[in-house]
Amino acid sequence: MMEGLAGFAAAIVALATPMSVFHVAWATLLGIFVGSLPGLTATMGVALLTTLTYTMERDTAILVLICMYVGAIYGGSRSAILLNIPGTPASAATSLDGYPLAQKGQAGYAMALATAGSALGTLVGIVMLVVLAPPLAEIALDFGSFEFFWLAVFGIVISGQLTGGVAPLKGYIAGLLGLMVAMIGSEGIHAHVRFNLGFHQMNGGIALIPAMVGAFGFAEVLTVMWRNKPELVEKNSTDDRVLPRLADLIRYKYTIIRSGIIGTLVGIIPGVGEDIGAWASYAAAKRTSPEREEFGKGSREGLTAAETGNSAVVPGSLIPALTLAVPGSAPAAVLIAALFIHGIRPGPMIMIEQPTFIYSIAAMLVFATIAIAIYGLSLTRLFILVLKIPREILMPVVFTLCVIGPYALTQRTFDIGVMVAFGLIGFVLRQMKYPMAPLVLGIILGSLLDKSLRRGLTLSDGSLEPFFSRPISLFFVVVIVVSIAMGLAPVRRSFARLTSRLKGKSKS
Amino acid sequence: MRFNSATADRATAAVFFALGAAMAWGGYVMDRLEIRQIHPASIPGLVPMILGAALMLCAILLARSAAATPRDTEDDDSGSLQDFTFTAIWSCVFALVLVGRIPFAAGAAIYIAGFAGWFLVPAAPIGSGRMKTALFVMLFGAVTAGAISALFRYGFLVRLP
Repeated sequence: MMEGLAGFAAAIVALATPMSVFHVAWATLLGIFVGSLPGLTATMGVALLTTLTYTMERDTAILVLICMYVGAIYGGSRSAILLNIPGTPASAATSLDGYPLAQKGQAGYAMALATAGSALGTLVGIVMLVVLAPPLAEIALDFGSFEFFWLAVFGIVISGQLTGGVAPLKGYIAGLLGLMVAMIGSEGIHAHVRFNLGFHQMNGGIALIPAMVGAFGFAEVLTVMWRNKPELVEKNSTDDRVLPRLADLIRYKYTIIRSGIIGTLVGIIPGVGEDIGAWASYAAAKRTSPEREEFGKGSREGLTAAETGNSAVVPGSLIPALTLAVPGSAPAAVLIAALFIHGIRPGPMIMIEQPTFIYSIAAMLVFATIAIAIYGLSLTRLFILVLKIPREILMPVVFTLCVIGPYALTQRTFDIGVMVAFGLIGFVLRQMKYPMAPLVLGIILGSLLDKSLRRGLTLSDGSLEPFFSRPISLFFVVVIVVSIAMGLAPVRRSFARLTSRLKGKSKS
Repeated sequence: MRFNSATADRATAAVFFALGAAMAWGGYVMDRLEIRQIHPASIPGLVPMILGAALMLCAILLARSAAATPRDTEDDDSGSLQDFTFTAIWSCVFALVLVGRIPFAAGAAIYIAGFAGWFLVPAAPIGSGRMKTALFVMLFGAVTAGAISALFRYGFLVRLP
């Protein structure tokens, strides 16, 4: 523990150079702009910025991507509060109380609370990252093919279950589609080329960056142009303040700590993401708050809980990303791809190969958090101006970047076609309420699942027994079975009947 | 047909079933590499077969549950079809037709100016207002395309298409 904190302190000192501060300043500001504009998500921002980091030094590249991620998740609160449209899906819960506060003429104070919540949530997550990541990496060293297979299945099932909303089946289908995309190209054991459909460009598989830029970039452009234009709530109150009151933060201290922990834990679950972190924190705050009837009508506590929860997911999602190479959220999936591009191999070996890297990431998160706090409390007017940029001006620029970004990685026009295909399919799937996170997770985990299953079966000479008898495997199997069962309507109904009966008995 | 409806779910279930069947069949007939004497449990088609079967099962469940799935009454698929159609077609024309055939900067300038002009020029006041807006979008397209191209060409040393 002390060793971890010492490593963390050393990483902060190493990062405190003028050049690093300069990169933190521009990347975080860009992230906040990206997040605050409806239609530009954190995933899209990180994916597009990845294409601009190819020529940067390793640590600088990771630093600007982390700053973009933190900034974009925070920036989503601006449009959630002022437009009632979350800039990113992560801020959907923020708009529930942020927009009513803005309508009451307290937009500035709502943004100040969102800033404080985001900064404190990220800090809680950073502490948990520093404390939990090293032991998790150590546990992951015991993982063999059998455990990695179930980990991949677990990721897809949980992500599908939690992001599928009322229809977890659509989440599972999205995950399966992602896994199927990952089956294209040369497989990892015998180098046999599968499903290339006669295109030699597909021999290496579908690259993640073009797929992500399409599914999150082009699909967003189409979605923004499909929706009706939002209306901006101007700041119009004379008693509105732009700094959070210390008394409010002290009053909500338990909400902040609880939301930070919930957000981080949600972040650790593969492929779930910031929106679920925000909703889970919001629901927990609503259950325990003495002013719960104010929730949804402009509750400051509700706003704080949502923003703390979604921001805490950022460090949380990096815990499995760094230690297991399994992303905790969609932007973390892009970050994994960026880490590989810059020569870092995330996974169980990270604490052995690069023992200080996790602390460097934590230090980068601290710098990004400081930046969002400074920008958030000082540049409120500028963010309102940014929200006034017409979508007709912004979207063609975004799409031009979507075209050139994936091309820059491999210099193949084929990847532009991949981006377009994923954009069109992603748009249709989104409109049909298929979540995108399991799809992305499937593309990332497909190779791991495929190799682990076949390698495991080879090791056991075709026997399935070790897949169910080893303790960690058995744990994953139980969780997966319970998750799928809870997603089935008849099981859910029976469970609800049982709990209500038990409650009735305990009352009597 | 609405995107988020029981009919749409049944139609996609049919597509997914066909896709699953194709992948399962593709995995089944895939080369088993006997000539390399690999372990039979590590054949390349194993996981595609499983995934294909799983997708077929999910497709059946999707079709069966389509009518009972709860749906938002305030769905956001009631947007502007005209704006969407133009965006989709014009963006595809840029990405799949213009890029690679004419210099990237020129293609991007045409795309950006065309996109912004399509929406902004008709919305401007008739007469000199439209002329000014048209000039603005052309200038905006040229400057933005030039800046993006220069950034990638000289900043990141990318050989543009």
